[in-house]
This record gives sequence, structure tokens and C-alpha cells, in this order.
Amino acid sequence: MAGTGHAHLRLDDPDILLRVRDLVVEFPARKGQVVHAVSGVSIDLARGETLGVVGESGCGKTTLGRAVMRLEDAQSGTIEFREHDLFGLGGSELAVKRRDMQMIFQDPVSSLNPRRRVRDLVREGLEIWGNESGPFSDARVEAILAAVGLAGESVGERRPHEFSGGQCQRICIARALVMDPEVLILDEPVSALDVSVQAQILNLLEDLKVEFGLTMVFVSHDLAVVRNVSDRVMVMYLGKVCEVANTERLFDAPAHPYSRALLASIPGHELNLPDASTLISGELPSPIEPPSGCRFRTRCPMATEECAEREPELREVAVGQFVACHHA
Amino acid sequence: MAVVDAPTSRTGDRAPGFGRPSMGFIFWLSVTWILLVVLAAALADVVPLRDPDALGVRTGEIERFETPGKNAWFGGDGQGRDLFAQVIHGARPAMVLSAAVTSIGGSLGVLVGVVAGYFRGRTDSVIMGVAEIMFAFPAIILLFAVSAIWGMTMAILIPAMAILAVPGYARIVRGVTIALAERDFVDAARAMGASRSRVVIKELLPLVALPAIAFGFLGFGLVIATEGALAFLGLGLEQRTWGSLIAGGQGLIREAPHLALIPATAMFLTIMAFNYVGDGIRELIDPRPIVVGRKRKADGHDPAISAASEALLSIRNLTTSFPTAGGTVTAVDGVSLDVRTGRSVGIVGESGSGKTMLLRSITGAFPVLGVQRTGRVVVDGTDLLTASPAQRSTMLGTEIGIVSQNPLTALNPVRTVGSQLIEVMRVHREISKAAARARAIESLAQVGIPQPDQRVDMYPHQLSGGMRQRVTIALALANEPRLLLADEPTTALDVTIQDQILRLLSALCEQRDMALVLVTHDLQVVRGWTDDVAVMYGGQIVEAGPTAAVFDDPQHQYTQALLASTPRLDLRPHSRLASIEGQPPSLVAPPPGCRFAARCTIADDRCRAEDPMPVQIRDREFRCWYPGTGKAT
Repeated sequence: MAGTGHAHLRLDDPDILLRVRDLVVEFPARKGQVVHAVSGVSIDLARGETLGVVGESGCGKTTLGRAVMRLEDAQSGTIEFREHDLFGLGGSELAVKRRDMQMIFQDPVSSLNPRRRVRDLVREGLEIWGNESGPFSDARVEAILAAVGLAGESVGERRPHEFSGGQCQRICIARALVMDPEVLILDEPVSALDVSVQAQILNLLEDLKVEFGLTMVFVSHDLAVVRNVSDRVMVMYLGKVCEVANTERLFDAPAHPYSRALLASIPGHELNLPDASTLISGELPSPIEPPSGCRFRTRCPMATEECAEREPELREVAVGQFVACHHA
Repeated sequence: MAVVDAPTSRTGDRAPGFGRPSMGFIFWLSVTWILLVVLAAALADVVPLRDPDALGVRTGEIERFETPGKNAWFGGDGQGRDLFAQVIHGARPAMVLSAAVTSIGGSLGVLVGVVAGYFRGRTDSVIMGVAEIMFAFPAIILLFAVSAIWGMTMAILIPAMAILAVPGYARIVRGVTIALAERDFVDAARAMGASRSRVVIKELLPLVALPAIAFGFLGFGLVIATEGALAFLGLGLEQRTWGSLIAGGQGLIREAPHLALIPATAMFLTIMAFNYVGDGIRELIDPRPIVVGRKRKADGHDPAISAASEALLSIRNLTTSFPTAGGTVTAVDGVSLDVRTGRSVGIVGESGSGKTMLLRSITGAFPVLGVQRTGRVVVDGTDLLTASPAQRSTMLGTEIGIVSQNPLTALNPVRTVGSQLIEVMRVHREISKAAARARAIESLAQVGIPQPDQRVDMYPHQLSGGMRQRVTIALALANEPRLLLADEPTTALDVTIQDQILRLLSALCEQRDMALVLVTHDLQVVRGWTDDVAVMYGGQIVEAGPTAAVFDDPQHQYTQALLASTPRLDLRPHSRLASIEGQPPSLVAPPPGCRFAARCTIADDRCRAEDPMPVQIRDREFRCWYPGTGKAT
């Protein structure tokens, strides 16, 4: 595959908050076939860290985030969150354990029920959990709204359509923060926003990360954005991990052929890479019948027979840089 | 406002202008009529009417078959009973029956529909299976059977008709729910720990209420009509209804037509009123603007223009405006731009900047009605604003090619790629089918589609997103245009595919000596793939010039702020980005002075009062009082 393996996991680090091992998510397709959305992906998250997950459509990055939140059911694997395995849990037990993980979605406008007022939207989590009520929770809602830059008395009384896209994303962030989460999973949180607004939200997330002690998984197709927010970056392709590395290392010296192609495709970049057209060819194969061995081999200029026969495993090629490629 | 950049899916940082559509005269007339009927139903016993059962032949007040007039407004029936009083009293069973059937059947249907639509799977299959069977069973026969067994009273008819109404509501609500359940807020609630029943009650039910109510109004009318039909067949309620009045009067239609016609009119008007109100509510939920071009009469060829301008596309002082509920939006405000043959120009801006409207102003295809354009849009010597429709459509097919953001909507889903290409070629030139097909295959090969001789017979859905966009490019190029207009051509595509498409467009421009106008929100796309750039803000071009120069040394404060807010690969991780606070200006009533003044960090009174004059320095142009580092010009 662009590959499998655990070399990148920090097993003896006591500060690991979330550890996902060999996660497999498959969706049923027609005629009894399955879509291999995520095929044996492992990640770990150290407290206070931001892991960027990049890749193109169909790489499984969104499914990975949703499966960790258990919004999708995984076929196999483990999801260890603070020593609890979420994988087999269901119902209220899962809900309790998962409370400290919250998710932000791509489209802020569609993430908010248009008929409800902002105060009720933000208070929803508190209501569901019933741990704070009455004036105390109102004060908390106000404080959180102020923290995301939506101060003012009338804010809580208004409905989502009275706000712009950027403001709606602030409301979504407030809804998640009100639960006092430890881990925030962000699925393309700025993709639907204009450039100037995107900068506001990215800055806000950096501030909140410090203020609330957040650990984040930041899923995005935008490499420049991922570079800006991440401590560590994982590149995915067709349900597999290609490369995991510290952010600067990945952007300065991408080692996996797909990482290189991805970076070279950024328009107007000034990286020391050849034309993208020489690094990648053709189209994404079907996730129903992914290629044998390395899944990237059908588009890779470096592919050999070995790539078809044997799936590469992640291995450390430089300090903090793990690559699943036979030729890197 | 929202329509300015409507074709893009980006939300931008401005609240959408919510203009509630005006409901119109007939809607309010219908509401009034419904209120009158409800009043009649409620107050029939209170208002001073004649006793509807009093026999005129005995009291002497009304004659048999008296024609409508001053004495009895609606006339009298065969026994001299007052028809007006009877019609008023008939309103009550009509209202009670429809209200009961609609509310009981409607609520049950909504509940069933939400459950089916949200839980899907087996629950859905069972529920919808039962609903289909009920749909297939003729309702009138069921009602026959019911009345034959139990007789026809309200207590029987209401539950019978309510059950028959459930599948209709369930089907509508299920559809709405499926669409809603795909939206992120349902996932967001689940992620927060909400139970499924909470999602149904708190998130979904309030949203399906409006469409269900709209359907309820249509259902209301249907119940009244059904009761009339039953009465006509002699199976109506065992009391006085409009249906029974019509049924009683129909045998005497020659002698005393008013006996059937007046209650029938009352019933007809009531049903119509409910339908109109239902339609009105539906429009509230789903306002859809219609795409039309603008008609022009005069012939626009102006030899003076073609002689004077060496640019292939020359836009002079173009202003495009259209009416909205909130006032007239000036989406493009005094824009001038030249594009020479062989050059690619990027038009970049955020949502609402007017970039898409500028492009649409060239072709004249708008997503809203009532668009007004002034100024000049000259392509190869022809002013498109004054050209005849025939001239314009010829220009659009041959001189100008268009590539849109979403290739799936640009292509006809039920026709093969080849037949669409062939049609485009044959509309504008004499060419045999076989020759056109050969050319279609050739043009698919030119845009980099592998196995073009097989792909030519495929349907759009059989191709990937990148391949579809290649097909729309092939379509745009079919008649070898000299000007290619592309609106966010790669926004829907992945970055490696985007690279392929932009590479292709740029190579085609060079090979064919074609001019390209590329509209995008993506600064990097402009930086990487265009020769010149025009930055738009608030409907105006605030800065224009060669791309490299503008990106290296931006003059306008907005361009500088925009570049500073873009995450870059040469910045260290966790670098703080400059952000532009505030909102873009209103395009209905733009502020005086510089459009960017309210959000600019160095703006002063002059910026807020005086519109900056365009400054031209060699091949660069900008309108800013304090360009570059901020010193006054």
C-alpha cells in the first residue's frame, strides 16, 4: 500500500491522548462489493499537538476523522482514548467516553440547524449532558461566545442565517468548546470560507488551542493551510498512509512519491520540485478494487514489480519522518 | 446579494441578504377567503341568518325555486329554504372534516416520514412498503366499503380519510428528511452525544414542519373535494354539506341552476384558496430564480471600435446591476479591462466581489431577472451589449468559449459526450455528421482524454470529475474560439487534477493564440497560471497588472491584506496570519470614498470621503490613495 505499519506510533510516550491502530472502514457497494475507505490506518496524538491529515478526495481522510468520532462504524481496529477503547462501545457508554472529543465540520452553515437560536445551539451540549443548567450555563455560553469572538448581548438571540459563513464557523467552534473537550477533530473547517475569513478562523483556532489546552486533528485538502496549523502531518492516499512527518520536514523534504506529487501540484509554489505532471499520471483507481501492493503504484513514475507484489510498510527515513514506499 | 457569486459554493464572510419574496395579490385574496369561510363555519349559529331548515313554502318568506335576489341572496330551494343560510351552515362540516383529517393524517404522516427518512434501512423499507400498498389501493373504494359497513358520519369519515392521507405526507416528509439528514448539523448533534430521538424531535421535526404545512393546505382542499365527490355519489355525510347541496341541486340544473352552482362555486373557491396558500408557502421555502439572457435590439457592430482597440476583449466602464428585495445591487461598478490575444488574465476576489458577475456580464447569462448593463463589452470589434441576439449567440458559439465551475451541470446527463460535441459544431457550421464525429474524437484527444474513440460514446456520469471538466473544455473549444472564459474551472477538483487542467488550459492558449479570462477565488491559481491579474473588491477592479509584479509588490492596501492573509508554504508552521476584519461593503448602497476604507488599517478621512482616482504606472493600475507602503500619491 501506500502503506501500513506502526513505525510512526510513539508507543512509550506517556503523553499520548488518542491512539488509533489498524483502523479499517469499509462501506457496502453494489453487488456485494465493498468500498475500502480506510484500510489499516494508525495514528497517535500527543497532548497539545495538532496532527494535519492531507490528501485528495477519496483518500479516506474525512472517513478517518468520522470513524474516530464513531460517526462511521469501523470494521476493525482499536480507538484508544485516554486508555479506554472506544471501538466496541455503543449507546450511552460510548457517548460518555466520547464527550471529551468534539468535531467541527466543513460547512458551518449546514452544521447549524437554521431554526434554532445561537444560544440554544451553543447550549445544546450542556443540555444533553445536563451537568450545568440555569444561569450558570448561560454565563458559560456567553463566555464561550466571547472567546470565539462573538461578544455582545444580542448574539445569543439571533439565528444562524443572520450570520456570515465565518461567524457561523465561530458558532460551531463555540458549540464544541462549551463541552470542554480535550480533542477537537476538524474536518476541512476553513474550506468553505473566503481567504480573509479563513485567516481569522485559523488564528482563532491557534489562540483557542493555547487557551483551552486543545489537541487537534486537522483534516484538509489545502496543503498551505495544513502547513500553517500542524505540528505533524500525515499524507493519505486511497485509504492508506503514505507518509507521516514533522510539518517542516514534510514540506522541505517530502519523501513519498505521492507527497512529492501533491506538493508539486500546488499552483505557484516555490518548492524545489519538478513539474507535477512528471510525478503523477492518470486518475485515482476505484476504491472498490484498489491496486495490489502499493496503492499508489498505478500512478507512480517510480513503480516497479515489487510495488505490485508487496505492500510497503512505514519506516523511518529521517528523524521524525516515516514513509511507506519501497523506493524512498 | 447571495446571487452575486451564486455559482460558487463558498459562503464568504457576509450574511446572506434575506429578502422574503412578496406573496402577491392572489395569495392574500385566498387568505381572506379562507378566513371568511372559517368565520362562517364558526359563527353560522350566531349571525342573524334565516333558519336553513325553515320551509319558505310555510313561512311565506321565500318562494319555491326563488331566484337569487334582494330577498334571498342565493335564492331558495324546492321547498323555499334559504340557500344562503344553507351554504353558510355547509361551511362548518367542510372545515371540521378537513381540519381534522389534515391535522390527524398530517401529524401521523410527518412522524412516519421523519422516522423513515432518518432511520432509513429496514424501518424505511417496511414503512414505505406499506405506504406504497396504500397508495395503490383506490381510496374511493375503501370509503365505499367503510360507508357500507358503518354508515357515513363524521366519526367514521374522519379516521378513514386521515389514514388514507398518511402515506402522502409520509412520502413528502421522508424526502425532505433524507435531504436534511445529510446536512452536517445532524452529524454535529450526534457527535455531541444527542440520542436519535432527540435528533428527530429537536433537529428534524421543526424543519419539516413548513413543507408539511404547505402540503397540508393542498390536502385541505383535497378533503373538501373528496367529500363533495362522495356526496355526489350519494355516499356523503348524513348531514348538510356543500357536497350534499350540490348533489341535491344537480337534478334541477335546468330549472334552478343556482341550486347546484352556488354551493359548487363556494366549494371551488375554497379549494382554490387553499391551493394558492399552499403554493405560496411552498414558494417561501423554495425560491428559485430563473436564468435568462437579456434582449437587445440594435446591431452592435462598430467599425470605430474594432479599429481603435487592439485588445480582443475590451471592457469599458461596465456597470451591472439588478433589483433585489433589499434594493438595487450594483455587482459590477465601472469596470474597464483589456485582454489581448494570447494572454491569460486572472480575475480574483472573494465572495461578493463581483468577479463572477463580471464574467457573466460578458456573456449576458445571469442567474437573476432584471439585470441592467451599461458601458461597453467589445469582443473582436462587436459590442456585445448592443449586438442583436442572433449576432450575440453566434459570437458565443464561435468567438467565445465558456468553461464553468461544475462540469456535471454544464453537461447534459442523458446524452453522450460525443453527441453534445457534435451538436455544438453543427449548430454553427456546415459539417457532416461523420466529419463532426471525427472532429469530436480529435478534440477529446486534444484535451488529454485517453481512449477518445471509446469515451466519445460515454455519458457524463461514466467519467471522473477531471475527465468531465476536460469534456467541457473540449466543448468550449469545439469551434475554435479566440476568447475562453473560465469561471472557477478547477474549484471542484483535486489539486493534482487542478494542475493537469490548468496546465492544459495554459498550453491551449499558447498553441491556439487564444485569450483566457480565468475567474477564481484562489490566489495561488492566479499566481501560478496567469500572465495578468485583476483584483476585484466591492464590484470594482482595485488593482490590475502583470501577475508577477502584483504579487511581488502589491500596491493597493486590499491586495496587500489579501496576500498577507493567505497561508503560504514559505511561512513557518503556526505563523500568525494577517486577517482582514469587518465585512465587505454593501453593493446596494456602497459607502462613499474607497470601498475598502472601512476594513483598511491605514485609511483616513480622505479615503472615507473621496473615491480614489485610478493611477496608471506603466502596465500597472490601482485605485488607492495610499498605495504601496502607505505614502500619499
